[in-house]
Amino acid sequence: MEDLKELFEAIVDGNAGKSKALTAKALTEGVDPQEILNKYMIPAMDEVGRRFETNEYFVPELLIAARAMKGSLELIKPRLVASGAKPIGKVAIGTVKGDLHDIGKNLVAAMLEGGGFEIIDLGVDVTPDKFVKAVKEKGASIIALSALLTTTMPSMKTTIEGLKEAGVRNQVKVIIGGAPVTQKYADEIGADGYSDNASSAVALARKLSVGDN
Amino acid sequence: MRLKLISCEIFYREMCYAVSQSPNLIEIEFLPKGLHDIGSAGMLQRVQEVLDKVDETRYDAVIFGYGLCNNGLAGLRARTLPVVLPRAHDCITLFLGSKERYLDYFNSHLGTYFKTSGWIERGTSSSGELNQLSIQRQIGMDKSYDELVEKYGEENAQFLYETLYGYKNYSQFTYIEMGIEPGDMFEQLTRNEAAEKGWEFEKVKGDMSMIQRLVNGVWDNKEFLVLPPGQRMVTTFGPDIIKAEMIK
Repeated sequence: MEDLKELFEAIVDGNAGKSKALTAKALTEGVDPQEILNKYMIPAMDEVGRRFETNEYFVPELLIAARAMKGSLELIKPRLVASGAKPIGKVAIGTVKGDLHDIGKNLVAAMLEGGGFEIIDLGVDVTPDKFVKAVKEKGASIIALSALLTTTMPSMKTTIEGLKEAGVRNQVKVIIGGAPVTQKYADEIGADGYSDNASSAVALARKLSVGDN
Repeated sequence: MRLKLISCEIFYREMCYAVSQSPNLIEIEFLPKGLHDIGSAGMLQRVQEVLDKVDETRYDAVIFGYGLCNNGLAGLRARTLPVVLPRAHDCITLFLGSKERYLDYFNSHLGTYFKTSGWIERGTSSSGELNQLSIQRQIGMDKSYDELVEKYGEENAQFLYETLYGYKNYSQFTYIEMGIEPGDMFEQLTRNEAAEKGWEFEKVKGDMSMIQRLVNGVWDNKEFLVLPPGQRMVTTFGPDIIKAEMIK
């Protein structure tokens, strides 16, 4: 299994070509996709998150590592689905209504996916209704809301109100983030969690998922 | 009244114009636009330092040419003089004349990047010390394409460049003409930039009246927060945008 230690490193280094090739090779050699994911890919993204938090890595390193992870994940996903493996949680993520900024949202989505979550990416300018649908129709267990502007932050509040009105608020955890967002605001609008960076968003989502499955 | 105006340099021409016509005696101190790039805590600290240095014996109040600016002014403390703050998320409210007009335009024109004379003359990235402190730099989002290639290889560099600097969801420049500009040079520059990027272009008439009310001392509570000494400004996350709070 010496080869797969290389997969871990390829993801940490953000080498998409190499991580994809190594994943494909492992699959043809009959390695269990669940093992590839849990023993190498998720730990690789955890290592990337650790380096980010200790300021060894910055946003570009996070992005290229997540991209390498994604390439490998696409190869093993069909096999995981076929084997009936379940993700640790389903996250519907989007930038709230009125806001088109998505670098942060994409980064959080990629890190969560790298952390073993299934991601339903609703994109930008997402209405409360679309989040409600993601819960009702796709079974999202976590809603992740992003906003870059104080102008659009109130859409986080209306999204939570929308979830309440639709009667699904208690089926999901709501986490929020974005440059102007604070823990205080999360408390004020009744969100379940706030994170100020993409790496700690994974820890937050994991914490909130305990006991859900 | 004798007023001290502390303003972002983005309003340079507008503030100078309005001050020249104001019945009040006003001294202006412009601060660099680059304060917006160093994060809300750093920005607040710098702006507070400037406010704290104002000689309270010389003025009746301090007025601000700022919006909330991504929480960069949230927490601002009035110590000895009343402090007047526009109820605005950012400068576009002041350029358009009201927060309601801005919100309407914002919601009906998603993906719009605004231009004014100040944004064209002074809106480019910071230099010097503020550049060193900028959030972009701290999180690694300040690199040129060549620097990205050198560090991450050609293939990753291309992906990073598109992801980080693409403005990919923006599709329009809106040039706000305040009516005080010397001819149409700023409009033409905006038109050219829109053509280069393949974006839509729209020109709208700005409205000097809110800036005038600020410098003339017409501070209706709907438009301005007058922060009494001993209080600080906090965000409301609602339509009022900001409110006063006792300093504990």
